[in-house]
Formats: sequence, structure tokens, C-alpha cells
Amino acid sequence: MMLVAGTVPIKDLPLTMGKSKAEGEFLVVNDRSIPAAQGTGAMISAALATTNYLKLEAPHVLLAGDIGHGNGSREIYEYLIQRVADISPQVLALHYCLPDMVLMRRLCKCIQGCPRQPLMVADAGPMYAAKAAGLAPHFDIFTPDATEMAFLADPKATHPAYIARHLFSAETDQTPKLVAMAHRHKGTSRLLLVKGPIDYVIGNGEILDTIAEPVIPALEAIGGTGDTITGMISAFAYAELELHEAAIIAAKANRMAGRFARATPATRVWHIISQLPAVFKEYLCQWSGVCYMEGERP
Amino acid sequence: MLFTDVQDAVRADKVLKKAGYSVKLVAPPPKLRKGCDLALEINLVEQPGIERLLEKTDVAYVNVAPIETGTAELLEIVKVTDFGNWMMVKAGNMKLAFDKRSGVIVNTSGGGCPDIPHFHSELVGMLLTQAPRPVDMGFTLCALMLDLALEECLTLYQGGKQS
Repeated sequence: MMLVAGTVPIKDLPLTMGKSKAEGEFLVVNDRSIPAAQGTGAMISAALATTNYLKLEAPHVLLAGDIGHGNGSREIYEYLIQRVADISPQVLALHYCLPDMVLMRRLCKCIQGCPRQPLMVADAGPMYAAKAAGLAPHFDIFTPDATEMAFLADPKATHPAYIARHLFSAETDQTPKLVAMAHRHKGTSRLLLVKGPIDYVIGNGEILDTIAEPVIPALEAIGGTGDTITGMISAFAYAELELHEAAIIAAKANRMAGRFARATPATRVWHIISQLPAVFKEYLCQWSGVCYMEGERP
Repeated sequence: MLFTDVQDAVRADKVLKKAGYSVKLVAPPPKLRKGCDLALEINLVEQPGIERLLEKTDVAYVNVAPIETGTAELLEIVKVTDFGNWMMVKAGNMKLAFDKRSGVIVNTSGGGCPDIPHFHSELVGMLLTQAPRPVDMGFTLCALMLDLALEECLTLYQGGKQS
């Protein structure tokens, strides 16, 4: 099973665990509708578009409402700490949660004790907490943007709001240098996909590939277009692609969905996500070698 | 000066600056950090007056500790990208884009704290001049960065209207 855990901006949503399905611009989990908007909603929707296309089991999700107080985030961490060994997911993707180093340390300790280690993906708050707590090497995939890469490279920063000024200024054109710094300080996961004008795929501190086409600058302004990449890379990893392959395809598909959607800074992320089936149909075989007739399992 | 949550630190910063104190939002000392928290750098000499003012204005704080080395400053620089009809401002890990003619917020992106998707749903579609301020509604450092971006967008929009 692939498990995605994260908060959604619905104040009264209790801790909810279930299988996700898509209904138009919404996700439905245990009869609750969740907008496929910036954050965990966009991430799950992109993962679901991928698993649906590949005819794989839909992602299971662990959600809780949280608009910043941290209550829902803490419920998610505690639930995972208690239950992750029993759930035993193949892929565990952690998304929007309050960064909490103490809870992240407890969760990583539990996961280390699991009979089967899940493939660990983190973005957003859990990625911040993992790096700040010195736990980045416990993770298989991080998906930072260029500023978050500067945060991973700064050994003293505990949040991107505190990165050193010279690193913030350097971020977009000096990703390779920041990657080397982060790797030296053990601030990176096994594989990194650094999202930006050029997407970098990094394995153990080395640049494995870069993706720069098509050029869709507006994607940076659209809330949720980083979340969609995290959703896709998690789903492709669940489909047992090599991690670097999963990263390359996710980055290419996101850019191509932006082109299909004729994205502007005013485009909503749902419009990007809705292009993914058409992108996969046209390009997935060419990019991955995963080729099959419509309706067949690859 | 240490706080239980970011919102209290932001309130204390506002109250004290309004009263004329020279204070600065910083990361808590390394040993006390949780990851998404905030402290206020004050002049220890002014501690009694500051504490009295915060008590009077009902702003809760945990305690005051002498500063240690390694206490980081909050990032306060922004970057602007012009997309033609739209402008995007980036502050730290947060971005906000608006329509240059109407002043409508068309997107917010970036961030990793749980109040950020909430702000996205609240702010997108609103006029910059009428939008609620993340610093007043938010709880995290991401909200503080988003507020910085919003403030810069307001300056650019209002400056653009005058020229």
C-alpha cells in the first residue's frame, strides 16, 4: 500500500484514514470531500491520477484538519508512531504538517524498528522537521524547491525563514553548489528532486539528470505545482520505478501538464492535474518504456 | 524572549514596536528550537518595561533568556518576478502573485506549514487592498513570510497605480 499523510485546511476534519478517489475537482475519503487545491489535496490528486493511469491501487490517505494550530499535525504524527509498523506501507509520503522535530524523531525511531522499511518521501513541513532534526538521511526522497534547497544546505537553519541571506540570494542559479553543501552537512535524502527553472535529480549528492523543457515559468507562481510533483514521484516509486526514473518522469510530466493547460500565474492547480492523463497517454511510454494498450495493465 | 507559539511572538513584536522598543524576530536558541518557532530579541536592559507592557496587553511569553551564539535572524529580503499581466513576489519560501491591473491575488504558492493551504483558499481571488493579513491570522513562520510577500505586493501595486 501507498500511504500519504498530511493535513488539509478543513478545520473540523477529524483524523481520517481511508482510500482516496477522485470526483471532479475533489478528492473523496470516507465520504468527505476535500478540494484538490494547494497542499496535501493537490499532492494526493496527482498521485491518484498516476495510480489510476497505471491501474494500481489508489493511495491510502491519513488526513486531519489543521489551519495552523498544529493539532491535526500532532494527531497524524501520533497515529503513525502508534500504527505504522502494523500498517506497513510500501511507500510512506509525508506532506503538509507542522514541522515538529520531537515528533519526527519519534516517528523515525518507530520506522527504524519496523519489520519492513517503507520507502520514505517527505515534502513541506515534514521535510523541514526531518532536516532540522538531522534525520534527512533516513528519507529516500525529498522534493525541495530552490529556496528549500538553500535551507537544506544551511546547517544552522531550522526553517526556510531562517536561511542565511547569501544562500537565499544564491538559490536559483547555484543549485549544484547548494546540493554539495547540503550533502556535506547530511541535509539530504537518498534522492532529491530540486524543483525550479531547471529541475535537478540528485542521487547521493551527485547530479543524475536535469530537466529544463518545456519552459513554463508560470508554474512557480501556481500554488500546488510542487505538491503535484511530490504526488507523482511517490506514485511512480510505488509502481516500482527506479527512484531517479520516478523523479525524472514526475518533473517532465508536471512541465508538460503546464504546457497542456496553457498555464499562467492565474491558473489553478486542479487545471494542471486534470491534464495528467493526457500527458501520460502521449508521453509515458516514450519517457519510461512503460508501454501498453489502453485498458491493459502495464 | 521565548514564546509557546509564533502568533504570540508576532503579537509581542507588534506591541513592543508600537511602544517604541527596538526588538527583532529571531530563531530561538538552537537548544530550544522545535522547527517552526520564533523568538524575540530584546535589549535585556529593557526587560522589566517590556514584561510589564506584555502583561498589560495580555501577550503570553514563556521566559527571557540571555542570547546564545547561533541565534539566526529572520530572512527579510524579497524577490520580484514580472510575468507581464501578473507580478509575483517571493519572500523566503513563500510566493504571492497578483494581477497588475486589478490588484486581485491570483495565486499563493510555496511553504510547508498547515496554515498555508488555508491562506491559499482565503486569499486567492481577493483584492490585495482588502485581503486579510497572514500575520494576523496565521500561526507559523510560513505565514510570516507570506505576509512579507503580501506587504511587498501592496507596495508594488499601490506604487504602480501612482506612476
